[in-house]
Amino acid sequence: MTVAKEVTVNKKVERKQKKRKLKSSFLLKTGVLGWLLILLVWTIVSYFSDPLFLPSPLATLKGAIEIASDGSLFIYMGYSFARVLVGWALGLIIAVPIGLLMGTSKWVRSIAEPIMNFVRFIPPLAFITLFMLWFGIGEQSKVFLIVYATFFVITINTFAGVLSISEDKIRSAKIMGATKFQTLIHVIIPATIPYIFTGAKLAMGSSFMAIIGAEMVAAKEGIGFMIWNARLYFKTEWIFVGLVVLGLMGYFMDRLFTFIGRKFLARYKVVS
Amino acid sequence: MPAVEDAIVLKNVSKTFQEDVENPVYVLKDIDLTIKKGEFYILLGPSGCGKSTLLNIIAGFLSQTEGNLEIITSNKNNRNTRGFVFQSADSALFPWLTVEENISFGLKMKKVPLEERRKIAEYYIKLTGLTGHGNKFPDNLSGGMKQRVQLARVLANEPEILLMDEPFGALDAMTRRTMQKELIRIWRETNKTVIFVTHDIQEAILLGQRIGIMSIGPSSKITSSYEIDLPYPRDITSIEFNKYYRQVQAHFEDFEI
Repeated sequence: MTVAKEVTVNKKVERKQKKRKLKSSFLLKTGVLGWLLILLVWTIVSYFSDPLFLPSPLATLKGAIEIASDGSLFIYMGYSFARVLVGWALGLIIAVPIGLLMGTSKWVRSIAEPIMNFVRFIPPLAFITLFMLWFGIGEQSKVFLIVYATFFVITINTFAGVLSISEDKIRSAKIMGATKFQTLIHVIIPATIPYIFTGAKLAMGSSFMAIIGAEMVAAKEGIGFMIWNARLYFKTEWIFVGLVVLGLMGYFMDRLFTFIGRKFLARYKVVS
Repeated sequence: MPAVEDAIVLKNVSKTFQEDVENPVYVLKDIDLTIKKGEFYILLGPSGCGKSTLLNIIAGFLSQTEGNLEIITSNKNNRNTRGFVFQSADSALFPWLTVEENISFGLKMKKVPLEERRKIAEYYIKLTGLTGHGNKFPDNLSGGMKQRVQLARVLANEPEILLMDEPFGALDAMTRRTMQKELIRIWRETNKTVIFVTHDIQEAILLGQRIGIMSIGPSSKITSSYEIDLPYPRDITSIEFNKYYRQVQAHFEDFEI
């Protein structure tokens, strides 16, 4: 009988613990706590400051409504987003095959690696003027800048992925009758997918960095233009709107990409 | 001309890894070995003696520096003659494919139609005791089960020769015993020629018809050979088994390896 009692008592304790866990895990999982804290600190600090120097969250919200009311905020977002998406996708299409080639061919590796290790330390922003000279001040130069910004991260990750494949996998494919091309399609690429995925994710960050720079220097639309333009009107809150919007765009793009990866590439064990 | 029943013939096979042509360091030196069709042959030796290197040469993964390797087969295109079971299933299996897809990988590469692939995979899933696991991914299986998948994946290509590189080395003692029994059962059902590399004397006597003992490198050789004349399945507690065990053990004691 005592045993049975103990069991019921244990169950009660367990239930209580579960409830407590649910409450705390909601706060932790959604990350609401951190956001509330930041908003609080921001409000307090801005209260003691000049709105031209540091606008409050409320002033920023008002500013956002102001720019959004004639639709220009959404147009700017659309421009920046489209440039990032096109440049990033193009970068992915160019970088993955080159990374695969570098990983599989000693020749390509020995030619490309030294050059890459030199060029990749030149930040995209350093190329803005040159790219404008070469590709004009239109969309082309901005897209190419993002292609440049994404290229190295994705190439290097893909290349590292190919090198990390165990010799046994390649050998087992060979002895089971796979040709070199079949080994590439059915072993090397699937085994490299997690690395390509990580590279693509990291490249998203560099895309945003590059596009804002380009839009500040040479654009009549986009979030970078908006931030740069704000100084003409002493609209510091617009800068804050731009920062928040950039963060949100990156956040949701990353979430979406991770979701797609989890949903469709689950068997390749993409990490997020 | 090799005899009809021979499966693998090695003559004076040597292997050097060093590029220095003047003073080559031999990993293997003058290996002569003939293995008959359907034979279960064991390569026994301490770690680093080059037995895996020899197996890799026979598999075609490495080429010998000197000497001659001959694989005698009825198969004309030589594509299906050898199968290789690696020591580590984790590094050899494809984790993005299910058990069934892993097993039918070779068939897919040879463009065997899906229906037939399924049928063959099904057969080998059953033969290796993997029934019910076909749709799982290798990461969700135990070590012993993964080695079964590797074995099934190799057998599905119907190779004449099975090369096994310490396949049970990473398994716990009990799983290992089960796998050894299973391997003997499958070997007797399929009549493959097997070369099995191990450093475990008991495993060698339990499985092999003939045991070749390799000396420690460099310049490894097959120094002696034992015929194990015991019926299968073998009883490790029997007096005859222990006689062989002592004999082989004594060999290692004498040579202080």
